Amino acid sequence: MLCMPSAKCPICGLNVELPDDVLPGEIIEHECGVVLEVVKDRNDGVVLKPLEGISEDWGE
Amino acid sequence: MIIVKIGGNVIKKNLDNVLYDISELAKNQNVIIVHGGGNIVTEISKKLNIEPKFVTSPSGIRSRYTDEKELEVYVMVMAGKINKLIVSKLYALNVKSIGISGADGPILIAERKKRIIIVNQRGRKRVINGGYTGKIKKVNRELINNLLALGYVVVIAPIAIDTDGTLLNVDGDQVACILASALKVSTLIILTDVEGVVVDGYVLKAIKLDEISSILPKIGPGMNRKLLMIKEAIKSGVNKVIIASGLKPEPIKHALEGSGTYIMGE
Repeated sequence: MLCMPSAKCPICGLNVELPDDVLPGEIIEHECGVVLEVVKDRNDGVVLKPLEGISEDWGE
Repeated sequence: MIIVKIGGNVIKKNLDNVLYDISELAKNQNVIIVHGGGNIVTEISKKLNIEPKFVTSPSGIRSRYTDEKELEVYVMVMAGKINKLIVSKLYALNVKSIGISGADGPILIAERKKRIIIVNQRGRKRVINGGYTGKIKKVNRELINNLLALGYVVVIAPIAIDTDGTLLNVDGDQVACILASALKVSTLIILTDVEGVVVDGYVLKAIKLDEISSILPKIGPGMNRKLLMIKEAIKSGVNKVIIASGLKPEPIKHALEGSGTYIMGE
């Protein structure tokens, strides 16, 4: 059986399914309304944290 | 006082004609030139075996990604090759000019974009380090005004500096619009490789400030950004902005006589 990687939403606690080839820095817009960033953890796995510090499209 | 922004394609294809017009203009008024040249930076980067990187923003804007190596080339080409080419050609036209970057003085203080969101090759949004690009936060008018008072045409390369002393790549249109606002210039001319703002195949002759929002969805991302910056410049007191082709003979004369798109407050 195929098993999609997943991580817990730090806001609502629900499991969030992630793409197989997910990369640190990718952004997940979760159904609970929060925008999450994929972050590498100590064990080379991934966790989710709320996206912070970016408020605008840059378009430089 | 007038500011002329010269885009990279215009520099490559029609610089002599543009500078001849500026030599005529400078007989009667103060002139500031802001130049671009990203395409020339790309060429030189490739010659130095530094492959330029481009990233796409969530709204679809493709842009140069400036890492440390690319910044070195950017500064060399913008503040060196292109800036001094313009100064030397103006000298040959008997125009007294001085070429500086925004980091000189400094006249342009910017804030580094620490992190940016891009769309990666998988089509998914990703946060990456912002590299060496910046958004201008402060303009020091004193140096520019002093140079203009001494009779120089001021030629400005789009490089800013942050409060830590880091050089930053800043967009040439952003530099031109912010300088126009800060110096309250009467006219800003943006010379580009298209005839003006084109909607449904036609060049718009004039756009009023309150019409800009409704035009934005009908134009491409590059022009879209220009108009957003121009909107802010007009709101802060710039009389008119003209977006016109810089690829013709006498491009500035034609722009001032009505070709291209005029954007005004009322």
